Amino acid sequence: MAAVPLDTVTGMHSSVAIAARRVHFPRRLMAMALLSPSMLFLAMFFAMPALGLISYSVLTQAPDGTVGLPLTLEHYWHFFATPLYSRVLRTTIEISLITTALAIVLGYPVALVMARSSPLRRQAITIIVIAPLVVSVVVRTYGWQLILGNGPTGILNWLLLNCGIIKSPVALLYSETAVVIGSLHVFFPMMVLPLASALGKIDRHLEDAARTLGATAWRTFRRVTLPLSLPGLTVGCTLVFSLTAGSFVTPAILGGTSGQMLGVLVEQQFLIVYNWPFGAACATVLVAIVLGANFLSVRILDRRYRCAQ
Amino acid sequence: MSSRLPAAWLLVPITGAVVIFILAPLLVTMATSISNTQYIIFPPHGFTLRWYGNALQNQDFRSAMWFSTGLALATTTGALLLGVPAAFALARCDFPGRGAVSSLLLSPLVFPVLITGVALLQLFSMLGFDKTALNMLIGHVLVTAPYVVRTTTASLLLADITLEDAARTLGADTWCVFRRITMPQIAPGLAAGALFAFMVSFDNFPISLWLADAQHNPVPLLIFQMIASVFEPSVAAISTLMILFATAVVLILERVGGLRRAMAM
Repeated sequence: MAAVPLDTVTGMHSSVAIAARRVHFPRRLMAMALLSPSMLFLAMFFAMPALGLISYSVLTQAPDGTVGLPLTLEHYWHFFATPLYSRVLRTTIEISLITTALAIVLGYPVALVMARSSPLRRQAITIIVIAPLVVSVVVRTYGWQLILGNGPTGILNWLLLNCGIIKSPVALLYSETAVVIGSLHVFFPMMVLPLASALGKIDRHLEDAARTLGATAWRTFRRVTLPLSLPGLTVGCTLVFSLTAGSFVTPAILGGTSGQMLGVLVEQQFLIVYNWPFGAACATVLVAIVLGANFLSVRILDRRYRCAQ
Repeated sequence: MSSRLPAAWLLVPITGAVVIFILAPLLVTMATSISNTQYIIFPPHGFTLRWYGNALQNQDFRSAMWFSTGLALATTTGALLLGVPAAFALARCDFPGRGAVSSLLLSPLVFPVLITGVALLQLFSMLGFDKTALNMLIGHVLVTAPYVVRTTTASLLLADITLEDAARTLGADTWCVFRRITMPQIAPGLAAGALFAFMVSFDNFPISLWLADAQHNPVPLLIFQMIASVFEPSVAAISTLMILFATAVVLILERVGGLRRAMAM
């Protein structure tokens, strides 16, 4: 269910329809034999641990560290009632929303250029946009740490000081802003790629027709191009939002205490505080946010799909 | 840019700014790595390759490199073994609930990877699995197999199925059709998927974070630890090596099957 946005990215909705016509081994046994290794693997190492984690979040940790009954909602209560933790939740949602908004504003023009340029230019932009995806997030975040460094040795500060824009170094590192910049860099391709693919599928004649009928360029964009690209935009927003919300490296390196996010909190609870049930509760909240965003996006895409029929 | 787009004159400068934004942290890291100073300073002073020498002689880095490469190779094999048959079932077999099965197979991509990792840590510690390398392999296969499923399914759907029919009509058996007709058509997609799986495993942080130990420390974790403890340009040198490695992989990916196909987008 929740994977539908990704299916839309791959165009699997349409491909399933094609596949129905090209069926060649109608033998169900064959399908079962081919699928059973991966399904067993998923059941054992994905479904089971995920359910285990959620059930851990309602168990009690005894003073000697063992975890067991009785069932309790105390960890969730603790999470939502403690200002420290609810602030982390708010920061997480805030950073993810701002990153998504910035990704739309910057990603839409780039996707337009990517979808409407000559093949050579398109290839160059595609490589530049996708290439950073293959570079480890840790390395990219390290680069941002060098750029945003507080004090006059931070590269951005050095630039601004030398240009005379600022008189004394500004503190950028270890803030929400730094995490937003880092996350935008890491997840930007996730916005551009589905958008460019949606824009590439738009029939250009529709835009021509609107222009011929007297619509201004803006009106054509607002009434034709934008609505037709909404599925790609929805997928992009869902991907950027969920990936930012679930990130660890970027807030851990750039966030400090004021840019702390749920992922960092989960890591602290499991690896430093050893409060596994509470950590599991924090993790479950994070999963709920991400799956909620995906569910919402599936609903939006479904409704549009039905309208189109 | 055509006149059909509003504010077309704005598109190119914005794209240029975004390209600078994308490349800035990579270029800065590369520039820092050749600075002839004991500490990190910008603009870099002088020119030296000694930080590369230091990095390549660093025992921690060397063992991390070996471990990460081995893990990524094993992960790619595992992901192919699980993903390719599943993709064949999705693309070539008719069975009820295919859409649901496809969503299930791709679901590890939707779930936050960090949480997948911590859930595995909890499972392994509960079951008493203490083979670190094997645990990490399981975790990495879990998050890379969906990519293989995606690229392989996409190439199977693009392959010309009438050729398979023709071969069968001419008397070829299933295995022969697979080997001589299907395989050559999907090979680029398979290669792209495999290379992508390799890179995702090599770069993986959120699974390794939970499952690694001191004897099994992959490169991304090592760099993360070094960022907090080492303040000389050797971190930048190691990062630059990673950037160059990734660039090579991207160029190969583009040649083999097209980047966007590898991303299945």
